[in-house]
Amino acid sequence: MLDRLKAGGPAIARQGILVAFIVFMIAFTIMSDRFMTADNLMSVFRQSAIIGVMALGVTIVVIGGNLDLSVGSMLSFATVLVVDLHDKIGPELAIPVMFLATLCLGAVNGFLVGILRLNSLIVTLGMLSVIQGLVLIYSGGQNVDIVDQQGTWFALFGRGAIFGIATPIVMFGLMALVFHVIMTTMPFGRRVYAVGGNPTASVFSGIPRSRVVFTTYLISALCVGVAAVMLGSRVMGSQNNVGQGYELQVLAAVILGGTSLLGGAGSVLRTVLGVLMLAFIQNGLILMGQPYYTQWLVTWAVIIVAVWLDVAAKRGRLLSPIA
Amino acid sequence: MTPPDTVKESRPVQADAPVEQALPQGLEETLPRATADRIRPLLDNPVLRWLVRNPIWVFVLIVFVFFSLVSDHFFAARNFQNILVQTSTIGLIALGMTLVMVNGNIDLSVGATLALAAAFAVDVQSWAVFATWGNWQILPAVCLALLVGIGLGALNGFIVWKTGVDAFIVTLGAMLGIRGLVFVYTGEQSFYAMNFAYSDFSALSIGPLPALALIFLLCTLAVHLLLSRTVHGRNTYAVGGNREAAVNAGIRVGPHMMINFMIIGFFAALSGVLLSTQMGAATPNLGRDYELWVITAVVLGGTKLTGGKGDIIGTLGGVLAIGMLRNGMNLMNVPAFYVYVVLGSILIAVLFLDKRFNRTADGGLRL
Amino acid sequence: MTKTMRFLLAGCGTLAMATAASADTVRIGITQNNVGIDSYQTTYEQAFIAAADANPDVDVIVLDAGGDVARQISQMQDLIQQQVDAIIVWPTDGQALVPAVRNAHREGIPVIVTNSNIAEAGLDFIAAFSGPNNIQQGIYSAEMMCEALGGEGEIVQITGMPGYTTAIERQQGFDDRLAELCPDVVQLDIQPGDWNRERAQRTMETFLTRFDNIDGVYSGDDNMGVGALNAALAAGRAEGMVFIGATNFAVGYDAMERGEYWGSVYQSPVDDAEAALQTALDVLAGEDVPKLNYFDTPKITQDNMAEFDRPVF
Repeated sequence: MLDRLKAGGPAIARQGILVAFIVFMIAFTIMSDRFMTADNLMSVFRQSAIIGVMALGVTIVVIGGNLDLSVGSMLSFATVLVVDLHDKIGPELAIPVMFLATLCLGAVNGFLVGILRLNSLIVTLGMLSVIQGLVLIYSGGQNVDIVDQQGTWFALFGRGAIFGIATPIVMFGLMALVFHVIMTTMPFGRRVYAVGGNPTASVFSGIPRSRVVFTTYLISALCVGVAAVMLGSRVMGSQNNVGQGYELQVLAAVILGGTSLLGGAGSVLRTVLGVLMLAFIQNGLILMGQPYYTQWLVTWAVIIVAVWLDVAAKRGRLLSPIA
Repeated sequence: MTPPDTVKESRPVQADAPVEQALPQGLEETLPRATADRIRPLLDNPVLRWLVRNPIWVFVLIVFVFFSLVSDHFFAARNFQNILVQTSTIGLIALGMTLVMVNGNIDLSVGATLALAAAFAVDVQSWAVFATWGNWQILPAVCLALLVGIGLGALNGFIVWKTGVDAFIVTLGAMLGIRGLVFVYTGEQSFYAMNFAYSDFSALSIGPLPALALIFLLCTLAVHLLLSRTVHGRNTYAVGGNREAAVNAGIRVGPHMMINFMIIGFFAALSGVLLSTQMGAATPNLGRDYELWVITAVVLGGTKLTGGKGDIIGTLGGVLAIGMLRNGMNLMNVPAFYVYVVLGSILIAVLFLDKRFNRTADGGLRL
Repeated sequence: MTKTMRFLLAGCGTLAMATAASADTVRIGITQNNVGIDSYQTTYEQAFIAAADANPDVDVIVLDAGGDVARQISQMQDLIQQQVDAIIVWPTDGQALVPAVRNAHREGIPVIVTNSNIAEAGLDFIAAFSGPNNIQQGIYSAEMMCEALGGEGEIVQITGMPGYTTAIERQQGFDDRLAELCPDVVQLDIQPGDWNRERAQRTMETFLTRFDNIDGVYSGDDNMGVGALNAALAAGRAEGMVFIGATNFAVGYDAMERGEYWGSVYQSPVDDAEAALQTALDVLAGEDVPKLNYFDTPKITQDNMAEFDRPVF
């Protein structure tokens, strides 16, 4: 047994998720001739963009030492709002209004967690319920639709393409890059890591902890807004529960990407890997003709093994030292 | 419901409390000094003192009085029975969740475990092997269902123990995976209990108490004693409060946590079995989102996610608070859309008030 | 928070007055499946409340189970506790509700099942069922599919939320009738769309990658059907593909008008709600009500759609 991995051991051992990713890609390529085709890859990238963009924001919240479970119902809220307002005040106004409203919800999260220092799990759990109620009250429970689906430039975000690449992929890629740069090179990024890594020490070193945490929730809400624009444009309509369950998929992707729930460690780019991993598992298994629930079983194993390898590499031994 | 003052004696916190009555720190700081001085003597009254330390029961009382006044149907023995039966599902799991959370862990897989146990309980009784057993065919089915729950709990606990991966992640994975198992096992269909004796069980009453409520209350008492009177209970606080100290004190943390995961697995399964007796059936989607309601109830009851703090009395209060709110809002015909807003807001408000008035130290922000 | 409470207080104040004022009115409680999950259920609720408001002799208590069986059972108990004159239930699960319905029956409260029926074992305990025939709807869709394809082709199916009665019954009706009527139509695969347009769109995208030839798509409702259509349009493969749905939504109606959608089953939530209330009133009035009251849900296709109003949802 690999009971002891050297701390500085093979770099590959510290990339559990990358290894798993490559193994799965090879396995799916062998088992389905449809898998490794440009069409399929593009389709998976496009489908994962919505969850991906949300996962980017949640990654930053989690690095800051908190959780955000409200993103699912916030996505429902933002999508219903932007689609409903599209026909009422036009897309050029609907988009900014939606972003404003969504950022307000993010600010509420940020205020409760960042300023009042309430537990983020419970706050965002409460907000999950509150926002779901708000969506239903706003729409009266009705689906919302965009009537003129062909004529609106709103179609660009979910259905269009930029330089031949589907817009959602471009937006996801760009945002991942920007966030990566912010988190690795800018002062704000360093502050988020510091606050998440050791909140008490960060305060002593003069970092405005409350403001940093507040901002991470604004970023999360911003990402939800972007996801809502892509989703609304892709479907050209919305149901009130469209984002239900997204919070857990997003969290699973973030965790798969190796971001620690304790805060202070993690990477935006590896979250992208986590997102793609989940998307390819789902896609690959369906291409192989497996029933949809097989993906849940596979995800179960993958999450535990990937995080285990990650944790094991960090502590330098495979099994936990707990007696 | 147990009257508060009779239970007071058994609380471990009480034993440690200083002789001179002091207000909780948050309350002391918030109130004007004159007011604080004025209300401090009130704490000589054991009931009031108990309530200040258990704010959720104040809330339960408020909700109780509120609905009794505004609804014609709330204050009735029959309705209290209903509330107890309705809360037993979430309540049983919350008992196990309290142990796991006092340990500093969490279990998100309980909803899926509940569904799988319910499916086993209903399906196994119709197995051909037991065809000649008459009503006794229910026995192996229920036993198997409970074993499934304990087994899944053991699996979660074992993984947490051996891999050192955070319980949140382990059980988030299990939540998806076990739901997958439910669909594999049931083939997406609902199972249906041919034997009406099974669903008659839920209609059974012993004295004034429905059987389901009685089971819930007995389990509550048992877990309360386990947590407050036994070595295992003391260890549970020790492991959650300061793991290193617990290790130094010779507690085998790994197996200890695994036992608590098995206990919550057992209660999730028991809850699934009892729920399936109410339906005479098991459906694959049973128990979705229950983990969130259970965690809500336990946190409302004052258990900290950081571990080391919490008790069953508080959890019972949290469970009853949610149960009474739901029941009362149903009776008052509150539109479903507003129920979401009310429940979510109350959760955040209680968290806020708890932090404000019952604060001991800063922190507790993280998992 | 305070605002909500104020709202609640105001709400219950009026409620108390309303109940006090009515002496010989009937009180009917309804527990619905999952309002807000789609427009059909929401429109049903509004129509139900409107119909009840229009009748001065009826007081209604409107509850929603949020798709959770256990919550629906609790709501049944709460309604029995209030001793309403009749309970209307839209089962989240046809089998799991049987004991709850049996309890109401024992208490002498008549139960009217609406929209999707309760399992056979429960039929003895209900006063009546009122709603569409979901199996028949599946059969209709199979017949339209068969006709549109001329008896042969390769199709895929997108079902509703796994485990829910309506989804199961429609699929059952469709599968059985299709196999019987035109065995040359091959079902390539069946995957769920969870009554969700975006999820149906994703499912269809995967189908399109997986199968080079798809002649037809059957979706458990038009909301998902339009999602599938979106995916096919985006892939440039919608031409000549036959889209058949159920529960005609406004978006489906519009797509049919554009010639992109072949057909569906017309089912009005307003009829559904009014039929349920009327059935309950008939039962209370002591009339001889047949056990199964199916209201008509005709086929709607591009050819005959002019005979139907555009759905309001």
